[in-house]
Amino acid sequence: MSQEEVSQISFKEVTKTYGSLAALDNISFEIKKGEFVFITGPSGAGKTTILKLILGQVIPSKGIVKVDGLDIASLEEKNLPDYRQKIGTIFQDFKVLPERTVFENVSVALAVIGLPETEWEERVKHVLKLVGLTRQMNHFPSQLSGGELQRVSLARALSVNPKIILADEPTGNLDWETSDTLMELLEKINKEGKTVIMATHNMEIVKKYKKRVIHVEGATIVEK
Amino acid sequence: MNKHFKTAISYIRRSPFQALSASFVLTLTFFAATLVSLLVYSSSKLLTYFETRPQVIAFLKSDAGDTDIASLQHKLESNDHIRDVKYVSKEEALSIYKKATSDNPLLGQLVSPSIFPSSLEFSVTDLSFAQGTIDEVKGESIVDSVGFTAALGGESSLNDVIGRLKTVTTYVRVGGIVFVGLLAITSLVVLLVITSMRVVGRREEIEILNLIGATKGFIRSPLMIEAFIYTLFGVVLGWAIAFIAVLYLAPSVVTYFGEIPILPKDALGLFGLFGIILGGEILGGSLLAVSGSLLAISRVKKARQ
Repeated sequence: MSQEEVSQISFKEVTKTYGSLAALDNISFEIKKGEFVFITGPSGAGKTTILKLILGQVIPSKGIVKVDGLDIASLEEKNLPDYRQKIGTIFQDFKVLPERTVFENVSVALAVIGLPETEWEERVKHVLKLVGLTRQMNHFPSQLSGGELQRVSLARALSVNPKIILADEPTGNLDWETSDTLMELLEKINKEGKTVIMATHNMEIVKKYKKRVIHVEGATIVEK
Repeated sequence: MNKHFKTAISYIRRSPFQALSASFVLTLTFFAATLVSLLVYSSSKLLTYFETRPQVIAFLKSDAGDTDIASLQHKLESNDHIRDVKYVSKEEALSIYKKATSDNPLLGQLVSPSIFPSSLEFSVTDLSFAQGTIDEVKGESIVDSVGFTAALGGESSLNDVIGRLKTVTTYVRVGGIVFVGLLAITSLVVLLVITSMRVVGRREEIEILNLIGATKGFIRSPLMIEAFIYTLFGVVLGWAIAFIAVLYLAPSVVTYFGEIPILPKDALGLFGLFGIILGGEILGGSLLAVSGSLLAISRVKKARQ
């Protein structure tokens, strides 16, 4: 098996600058399919930039980012939606649609991938059961707690059956108990074979779950 | 129901006042557009009427012989600037006079055919040829005098009549087009502002949709459908109000203008005319909706850095 087949995500000598500010400076690492990886580091270290590079939100100033052998920088704008549909994303600020119910928030992801409307209900109910939000299905985001909102975000990410889950500080706005519940869910999803990459500065979680850690500090990787 | 259509409807329901203001301005635009279209049609018919009816009457001398008259008629018919040449005999002239004075039969009984001159009536293909043609006909030996029937407002000279007709028609056309153009620009700006407000208000939603892999079409469609709904509503309502107003006023207008066909005489013709106007407005409205919404959406397009 070649190196390319084993690693699902690879960063090779990647530098990313915003104007004169270097967010990442010549970093290289690989993530295998089915791995659970924490990207840790202080605020402003470049954790989110790594996730943005994987998602194709930004392109590297130097170096190559590959996902499933695909050079993200060479992806044309018109092909980005297809690529992003294969990645589930969870954000610290949840990024749920405020004017839509929990059911609608999840089903919008299914509409985006073009799943027939007749199949939405079954799929949405399945993921909502998985994250424990069946009862809140018709609630609006304003009626939910932070933990519930994060689970809506997770349900939306899972509904499209992605190969990779990117989580950007998903526990940042949650208390310890709720964070723990979310982590158990992510671990369960990882055990089903999905690659999970989670950016966090919550070292207690990192210590408890004992996963691979990529530590970023001062725009460079100091520990893999 | 299409998912984008459903989303557009939910956008409208959540901001009813924006929707109302957009629809109101568009209704006003298309109400005015319908009336201006009708005015352009009517003015065109008015001009055609004056251009095609016998405008010039050459009254012949009483001693004019049949051969001379036939010769002059033939000469006029062979002139490229003249059409619809018709000979009116003294008897026919009396008959026309009697018909015109039918409400007072005594006037008709007091006259005999001999006092009416026979005449040659004809139209010119373009009003600008009228003066030259009249001068030419006046020079004919069997012609006693020449009259012009298309006098408006008591103008003394023929050039005044021509000038007045052309000026009125031009004013109606240019003025109408400028007026509708201004309203169309206002509507475009209103659509642009409302769609921009929608886009700004949904910046977060657009960002989320982008991140979960929505295509540009998926993001744009509800906004474009929303603009299209406002426009269609404005077109149909504006057109319907104008149509009802015209149906209400048509009998008085038709009576006032008499035989001048400024509106189609039969119901089918009127419906046909309004159908064409509606079709044109739907087409114009669609262009307005698409261009307005695309312009607004293009302002938030963000390239990868």
